Amino acid sequence: MRLILLALLVLTFSTHAEEDLSAKAWLKNMSQALRDKQFKVSIIQLQADHIRPLLYVHGIVDNQEIALLEYLNGPPKNAVRVGNRVTFIEHDQTPYSVTAPRIQGVWPAALAGDISQLEKGYQFVIGGRSRIAGRPGQMIRLLANDENRYDAQVWIDMDTFLPLRFDTLNKEKQLLEQTMVVELIELSEPANILIQAAKQDWPAVMNQAERSDGKNWQFTWLPQGFDVVVRDHHRLIGIHEPVEYIALTDGLANISVYVARSGENPMPNELLTRNGLSMVVVQVGNLEVVAIGKVPAETLEKIANSLVLK
Amino acid sequence: MLKSSQEWVSAAVDGEADDKTLAKLSADVDSHAQWQRYHMIGDTMRGELPEAIDLDFSANIMAAIELEPTIIAPKAQQAEPEQIAPAAKTSNVVPFFKQFGQYAIAATVAMVAIVGVQSYNQTNDAESPLPVLTTRPLVGTVSPVSYQTGSVQNQQNYSNEQVIEQRRRINAYIQDHMLQQRLNPGVVIDENSNQDAAVNQ
Repeated sequence: MRLILLALLVLTFSTHAEEDLSAKAWLKNMSQALRDKQFKVSIIQLQADHIRPLLYVHGIVDNQEIALLEYLNGPPKNAVRVGNRVTFIEHDQTPYSVTAPRIQGVWPAALAGDISQLEKGYQFVIGGRSRIAGRPGQMIRLLANDENRYDAQVWIDMDTFLPLRFDTLNKEKQLLEQTMVVELIELSEPANILIQAAKQDWPAVMNQAERSDGKNWQFTWLPQGFDVVVRDHHRLIGIHEPVEYIALTDGLANISVYVARSGENPMPNELLTRNGLSMVVVQVGNLEVVAIGKVPAETLEKIANSLVLK
Repeated sequence: MLKSSQEWVSAAVDGEADDKTLAKLSADVDSHAQWQRYHMIGDTMRGELPEAIDLDFSANIMAAIELEPTIIAPKAQQAEPEQIAPAAKTSNVVPFFKQFGQYAIAATVAMVAIVGVQSYNQTNDAESPLPVLTTRPLVGTVSPVSYQTGSVQNQQNYSNEQVIEQRRRINAYIQDHMLQQRLNPGVVIDENSNQDAAVNQ
């Protein structure tokens, strides 16, 4: 009897402790879990009217993070991460590696990164609880501090702290994109496939020598929290037009800004896709400034208009 | 079809025929239908009928056998679980790799390909100020996006070539943006190492 009482007491205390976690603590635990835990998740990604099923396996082999992402539908497409190197293996393409701390395309990299980095652009608010993939999940809202970016919400598994669902919402609270776990299996040992992956000889990281430094473009205005990550000069895919390139990020949203000579044909001033990706083109003399990213088009327009050459 | 052959079939169904008779029977295509009926009758009497009766099971089996690949030798023992297939596939790939530059990657990153630009500049629909055009993700489904040309450059009469050229440029930009997401996670690395340092303290 005493044991049962004790167990009850411990239980109430532990649930109490969980409730006491701040929204930020939840997110920090999630970030930690994404890096430390060994697990296998089946995920579906919803974008506008199409669904993409994914399999993601993560583990630690020889103190190194190994992860595998597999696209389950359509032509085979995989990405393997060993430490800080991500190799993309696609059916019609020679595999190539890039240096990256996460495989892009599952959860936003920021979820496994430094959570305080997100605080400049978002407020963290504890939401309700719901059951996802058969597990209780705690919802944390990432409320945009301003109108310049979209809101997001993440459901965190109350047991493992791994993310169960991630939604991006527009200003009307309509769902733009959703990444949802349908099955989560925590593993005590690295999955066999990850051990194999760790032994595998992967292509060397791509030589990015052809990226020359870009000109000193500056922004007179940027939304709070957005920083310049990369600036360079390269040629566009496919049409091989030279562009000046600047990458901005606030942790969650990534924006690309291009400066190029205007083509002979006018470009649309604005283009919106239903998954939240927007594109804005501003003509400056015989140059066009193109801004692309998953933020409201108005933000892109303001950013494009604030670009100056110093 | 004579009575005697019917008896054979009946005997065969009951398992009372010898091999020779069976061989004869199997050559006699006409009696196959009977074989089937007799089995069915037997099953019914024993109450072993499945809920859904597939009346043409012999034909089904024939079809299935035809579909099956001929196995000449037993399969080599699978030493490794098939899961590792993606890893194994790439083992011979490294030497090819270096000749490819950064933008050789291009094609596969494409997620959104714009297939149709329909500019509805003349519509005065106040409820949907943004006209709709269609984009098709590489995966194969179509999702509409809205599209706007400014009132200043209100050209509705794009020629076909102009439209194609415009789409090509839009695609190039969007693809490059997608590619950059893969190539430029740079800043996060530093954050991680900072955080790891902080954790260690």
